[in-house]
Amino acid sequence: MEQVVANGLYLGAQYALIALGLTLIFALMNVLNFAHGQMYVLGGFVTYEIYGQLRWPFVVALFASAITLAVLGGLIERLLFRTVIRRSVREESTMLLAAGIAYFLDAVILLLFGEKQRGVPKIVPGVLRAGDIIMPYDRIVVGGLAVLFIVGFILMMQYTRPGRAMRALAQDRIAAQLMGVPVEFYSLLGFALGAMLAGLVGGLLVTITGVNSGIGGPISLKAFLMVMIGGAGVVGGAIAGGFILGMLESVGLTVLHAYGDITYLVIFAALLIFLAIRPNGLMGKPWG
Amino acid sequence: MFRPLRLAALAVFVLVVFLAVPLAIKAAGRTDFYYTLSSVALLAIASSGVWLMFHIGRINIGQGAFALMGGYVSAILVTSAGFSFWLSLPLAGLFCAAVSILIGLPILRLRGVYFAMVTLVLTEVARLLALALPITNGAKGITSIPAPGAIGAFGVTLVPAFDTFAERNLAFYYLSTIMMTLCFAALYRLVHSRIGKLFVAMQQNEELASSMGINVPAMRILAYAISSFLGGLAGAIFIAIAQSIYPSSFTVNDSVNFMLNCFVGGLGHVFGPMLGTLVLYFGWDLLFAIGQYQLLIYSGVMVLLMLVLPNGLLSIRLPSRRGARK
Amino acid sequence: MKRHMFSSRAALLGLVSALSLAGALMPAEAANKVLKIGFVGVTSGPAAAWGTSNVRSMQTLAAWWNGQGGVKIGDQTYDIDVVTFDDQKDPKRAIAGMEKMAQEGIHYVVGPNVDDGAAAVRPVAEKAGIIYFPYAFPKALYTKPASNAVLGMVANYQSAPSIYKYLKENKGVKTVAFVCANESDPISQRDGGVVAAKALGLNVVADKDTYENDTRDFTPVLTPIVKLKPDLLVLSGVAPANAPLLIRSARELGFEGIISTETAQDAKVLEEGAGELANGFISVGGASTPEIRSKTMEEFIDRYTKKFGEYNDESNTKVYALQYIVDTLKADPKAIDSVEEFKKAMDTFSAPNPYLKDSSATLHYVGTTSFGQKRQLAVPLVVNQYKDGKFETLFVANVD
Repeated sequence: MEQVVANGLYLGAQYALIALGLTLIFALMNVLNFAHGQMYVLGGFVTYEIYGQLRWPFVVALFASAITLAVLGGLIERLLFRTVIRRSVREESTMLLAAGIAYFLDAVILLLFGEKQRGVPKIVPGVLRAGDIIMPYDRIVVGGLAVLFIVGFILMMQYTRPGRAMRALAQDRIAAQLMGVPVEFYSLLGFALGAMLAGLVGGLLVTITGVNSGIGGPISLKAFLMVMIGGAGVVGGAIAGGFILGMLESVGLTVLHAYGDITYLVIFAALLIFLAIRPNGLMGKPWG
Repeated sequence: MFRPLRLAALAVFVLVVFLAVPLAIKAAGRTDFYYTLSSVALLAIASSGVWLMFHIGRINIGQGAFALMGGYVSAILVTSAGFSFWLSLPLAGLFCAAVSILIGLPILRLRGVYFAMVTLVLTEVARLLALALPITNGAKGITSIPAPGAIGAFGVTLVPAFDTFAERNLAFYYLSTIMMTLCFAALYRLVHSRIGKLFVAMQQNEELASSMGINVPAMRILAYAISSFLGGLAGAIFIAIAQSIYPSSFTVNDSVNFMLNCFVGGLGHVFGPMLGTLVLYFGWDLLFAIGQYQLLIYSGVMVLLMLVLPNGLLSIRLPSRRGARK
Repeated sequence: MKRHMFSSRAALLGLVSALSLAGALMPAEAANKVLKIGFVGVTSGPAAAWGTSNVRSMQTLAAWWNGQGGVKIGDQTYDIDVVTFDDQKDPKRAIAGMEKMAQEGIHYVVGPNVDDGAAAVRPVAEKAGIIYFPYAFPKALYTKPASNAVLGMVANYQSAPSIYKYLKENKGVKTVAFVCANESDPISQRDGGVVAAKALGLNVVADKDTYENDTRDFTPVLTPIVKLKPDLLVLSGVAPANAPLLIRSARELGFEGIISTETAQDAKVLEEGAGELANGFISVGGASTPEIRSKTMEEFIDRYTKKFGEYNDESNTKVYALQYIVDTLKADPKAIDSVEEFKKAMDTFSAPNPYLKDSSATLHYVGTTSFGQKRQLAVPLVVNQYKDGKFETLFVANVD
């Protein structure tokens, strides 16, 4: 059982980091970013090229992933979302835009990096065996880094000026604007930050799970699940959702493994029942 | 109710779809269009259900679940219970409607992205159920489903068995387009009826609608049931064409595409999904010649389209509506 | 306002039908020396690797032959034109692809790559007179009354018995655990593997565990299985992208038994994804490993690599389909527009296999044991073992 809990915690840490970026963008702009998974994949490929192919230090690669995605995210917000939000009569239109961008990034990634699964050398060799727990060192490092990034993100949102501005924006866009917060600038910053988080976690996880051009969509879907559990648009919700889903998967796959193919059915059924009781997830902001 | 001009437009539509297009296909010898156009018609039916959900202010990315369910209901009824395809067709739709009422009771309380995300998960649930339930034959799918048989009444054959047609796909073309015409006509009537006005009220503000005495939960369920009925219908006909069904016959991708069809056509117009399906389906096909850049150009155009026409293709000619919507 | 809607719609519909008409009237037939061979399969999305290796094999081979002046079938010389269609792994699109092939007058189509697509195109193919070569295993596709599908590779229910037998006799394997993706193709393959293992008297300790195909971390899936300490862990129908991740997780969890699969894998992907942890991994190889391949095969690999930058080991098997089609047509030129002739030719066809060193090896159709009729390409069953970035041949067997 210790092993199951350890698996769950590790999964949870990476899931939470994936969900953070998605929920940030949703909080600031009410945009469900379908392209989140594709941004993750792109981040993974940047690290793959720099760390795996050029053999530069991993930290440099990770940094490059983050910067690339931050720039890309900023551009997408400035050039695409801002325009569409202004022109469209219905809020949902941004969903089509996001889906279009997801397809577009899919196509670009496929053309640039090919269709194969890619992997990089392990960042730390060896496996920790302590009692019943078996955990490779690189997973411990990646899990630790993920937690570190999450804590860093929370601190930034709590105590820095941009963090406070973005929280104000998430609470009430119009009020924030009236109070003199440069809404457009912080939307841009927030989107870039959300994309950066996706790229960061992509780069981080390429050392464990590798990356391939087709996994963007499924990653987005998983991120949606976490956000639904925790509640959309709330940082705490994303983190809680990530850890809960990680734990559910880990425990479910062990406990239910004798019954065959039903772990995800059980998770989904539980989710439907849970949402029937708490329509906004654990701590989500209400919609509409 | 129908004014002369509208009637004329309807006549033109019917003539084009049921006469001009088949004749043109025959003249050009492009018989592969029977299938592609049947596909468009069926996908448009499923998309129209999604559109109705948009109309009450809900983003439904779960239509693939009901298409799959409808397909399985029809396939199981035909192969295991010996039903005629023609009887299984409405039953598939009704089964989906019934299921959607059950699911809808809890999930229709959700709004915005929550509803969208839950419905997205529903498609996965449907696939996993199809894999896990014994009645669906699990991973092996159901294959060798017989083609639709004859319809007869009092000894007179009204519709001959599809296998007897020299051009089987022409029969499916007529079946699909007739169903599409009926569905959209019904939808048009619905949207322009009293209920349709209530739907619009709900789309704009559910609390306000509720305070005006509209039974909002019941109306939501009604819309969702109709939507799912349409999905099930389209799925069942598709399965009759493929004569086989697998858990992967309708996937999350289909669900997303149904939604995109509505967006591209325009959310403000009943016929939006029909146009959107046509454009997206053939857009993809036309780009095939480009080879590896197909997806790149397709998605690029989609993004550009959003920039230029964020309210859908049918918004081009209706500038005054924009104000009305605000 | 409503009027506008109706008339603009009608106008657009008219426009589209006019466009399609114009498209149809454009010259579809070129010079009569072009032989079109179709491909309908998946070349985009997560499973893109499967179809891509098909398409690239076909294109490499076609370009090679065309560069040599074409292929001579009967007294006519043809250039091979590969017409491809990406079905996006969607059976509904696959039907459209097969319709398109029928429209182009194509009688020989490679693909689809998966079960649902292969089943869905059957009505079209049989109606339009198309022989197609799926890479999907359901027996119903190849057993009467089905008649137009020809399995392009060795099915797992054919390879599994010989692999398990080898491992039982040579490696002392007694207990087996299966794990596979929760999708049609892998589950069918797992069920076939379980039957084969039980028939050999092996003790199957896990036969229900599945994972979602988009899983990125397999440790939770494998934790309970590794605890059972089976001698052999079979990754049924594993996608090349997932194999290294599964191997890595199993090994890092302390699994010490043998890991095997019955599908073709990619050495580069294994090396990048699992490194030396993948050593000893047993898979069914592309049908022309270094030990047995001929000079022709080496040149093919060379051309493929030059053309597309990187070789895919799966193409070792996928090179065969087009070779078979063309060689069968050469043997019976009348089959070029008569699939009935082709079916007749399949029963007796035999030609030298250009891809194997062994000069007595032949191309011929098999499948009588599994399907009751010859509806399968005979390709060598090569069982590989991965070692340090390369596959080493464990043993070679023949099907049927």
